[in-house]
Amino acid sequence: MFIQHIIGLLTDPTSEWEKIREQQKSSDKKGVGFVFILAAIPAISGYIGTTQVGWRIGVGEPIRITGESAISIAIIYYLALVVGVFTIGWVIHLLGKAYEVVRPLPLCIALAAYTATPLFLIGIMEVYPVLWLNMLLGLPALAYTVYLLYSGLPIMMEIPAERGFLYSSAVLAVGLVSLVTLLGMTALLWGMGLQPVFTN
Amino acid sequence: MTNSETYNYKVVRQFAIMTIVWGIVGMSVGVLIAAQLAWPVLNFDLPWLTFGRLRPLHTNAVIFAFGGCALFSCSYYVVQHTCHAKLAFPALAAFTFWGWQAVILLAAITLPLGITTSKEYAELEWPIDILITLVWVSYALVFFGTIIKRKIPHIYVANWFFGAFIITVAVLHLFNSAALPVSLFKSYSAYAGVQDAMVQWWYGHNAVGFFLTAGFLGIMYYFVPKQAGRPVYSYRLSVVHFWALVFTYIWAGPHHLHYTALPDWAQSLGMVMSLILLAPSWGGMINGIMTLSGAWHKLRTDPVLRLLIVSISFYGMSTFEGPMMSIKTVNALSHYTDWTIGHVHSGALGWVALVSMGAMYYLIPRLFGRELYSLKLVEVHFWTATIGIVLYIAAMWVAGIMQGLMWRAVNADGTLTYSFVESVQAMHPYYIVRTLGGAFFLLGAIVMAYNLWRTIADARPVEVEIPEPASAH
Repeated sequence: MFIQHIIGLLTDPTSEWEKIREQQKSSDKKGVGFVFILAAIPAISGYIGTTQVGWRIGVGEPIRITGESAISIAIIYYLALVVGVFTIGWVIHLLGKAYEVVRPLPLCIALAAYTATPLFLIGIMEVYPVLWLNMLLGLPALAYTVYLLYSGLPIMMEIPAERGFLYSSAVLAVGLVSLVTLLGMTALLWGMGLQPVFTN
Repeated sequence: MTNSETYNYKVVRQFAIMTIVWGIVGMSVGVLIAAQLAWPVLNFDLPWLTFGRLRPLHTNAVIFAFGGCALFSCSYYVVQHTCHAKLAFPALAAFTFWGWQAVILLAAITLPLGITTSKEYAELEWPIDILITLVWVSYALVFFGTIIKRKIPHIYVANWFFGAFIITVAVLHLFNSAALPVSLFKSYSAYAGVQDAMVQWWYGHNAVGFFLTAGFLGIMYYFVPKQAGRPVYSYRLSVVHFWALVFTYIWAGPHHLHYTALPDWAQSLGMVMSLILLAPSWGGMINGIMTLSGAWHKLRTDPVLRLLIVSISFYGMSTFEGPMMSIKTVNALSHYTDWTIGHVHSGALGWVALVSMGAMYYLIPRLFGRELYSLKLVEVHFWTATIGIVLYIAAMWVAGIMQGLMWRAVNADGTLTYSFVESVQAMHPYYIVRTLGGAFFLLGAIVMAYNLWRTIADARPVEVEIPEPASAH
């Protein structure tokens, strides 16, 4: 069950990664469907935060966006997160060739998905969209994600830690590039007139 | 047959030491001005301590003093070792050192006094520009003179990159600094209006492309294979991406002038060339990463390799980000925001500074015939620097996107949602995080300086004999 895995990754990551790997190798249930549930946390929280709670910049009334406009943003956000996880899983699979450890695609996607869980979970904070607070909470979650990547990849791929360090660094670089792409896409869409509609 | 001639290590040593010194100075000024943006009271109401005067001091110190000394030192070392020849014109080589230090010192005096041409990255006034020209011509004579008297028929690819960097910077400096002096401290640019802007950004972007990229790729192509103890992954790729890089970079400047008075076709040309630039840039990244990847078993014992891996990863990331930001629609949001500052620093801290520091960890112990004092401290440096860069970039991404979105947010009735000062106020927390990130990076540099100081304390400079090239090649 994925919830147990998540708790395990937060308390004892090393042994939990081994359990995840064994499950991937043995059972027919290679389910990574939980990504669809986890990705909903930031998307729904963001929807509630931007339409109901709103945010404040400096003084004045809190700023909100209309429900109609927020729902389309939430859907794009949700899709971007899901596509992002599967893409990175796929890239991990492809990169295997360069590091001479080609592992099955579902295992690579599971690695990407479980690595990203701290970020999905902290997504709940978007209910209260104060950017500096979100950043303060988000940075430790991001740090833990990076830690999970570096600790988990050698275990999942069954390779020595040093080679895993290089492999993980390559995956991290791909992650950064995806993040930058996301920033660029946001700017492009916004520039093309798909910006949110504010309530006031 | 023996060859009793030795390499000229003196000038390499001098530049290497000054790389460390200017690195700390330049980064300290950076942390100070970052703090001033978060807490403006830190300018103490002194004109020469204000952001406007210290910012050019920071950029000149880190690019030309820190980066420049690293380039001089590494290129002089590499060209001698790959040509099996002592530096040509030893007196000129010594002049490049003292001349370059004089340029830096003059910059450190004139810039806080407010003496400036107001051209970004070319702020120094005309008498200093003439001194730079003299130093640079001497540099070219020494470098190419050494290539000419080489004992190895082949010219190694690192020297191609250094050579392109030296020639192009000479051309850029001469054209961009053309000015009419009206007094000792004041001159006016030879170009007017939008032509001036175009020449300035042709210079400015190629300062990035040749000073901060081609030169440092030269460093990468020597020190990465050396540290990894294996040959370059693909020599063919290195030559192909060299020519692609030098032909493409020179056209990318107009992307600094999107939506200005510059003709639209020139803007679009700059954007297209910037997008093409991704390919040669990633050619270099792939070559570096793949060279290092074969040395994974050495990672346990060699933290310098980690520094180099992270540096090449940041090179890949920022050369992806750059072309994307040059797309006009993206640029409409990102331009004039802190996203640009974040982008520059992912390249400057992540790539340029880390690869230089990696080279210094290789170079300085060898120049003094010592082992590195502490590998543990290199690891400490690696982590503080990496955390610093991540904090810096993350803060600037959020700040930049937020600024861009706030500036263009419009209410239903067409009025602006935010006043400018509201966007300034909203930046405060990110500027604090950025200062923290910069301070972390500086801390790493201080750890490095201590480590290298302990390495060379009471060591004697070494003389290394030039090996006789193998007769059968």
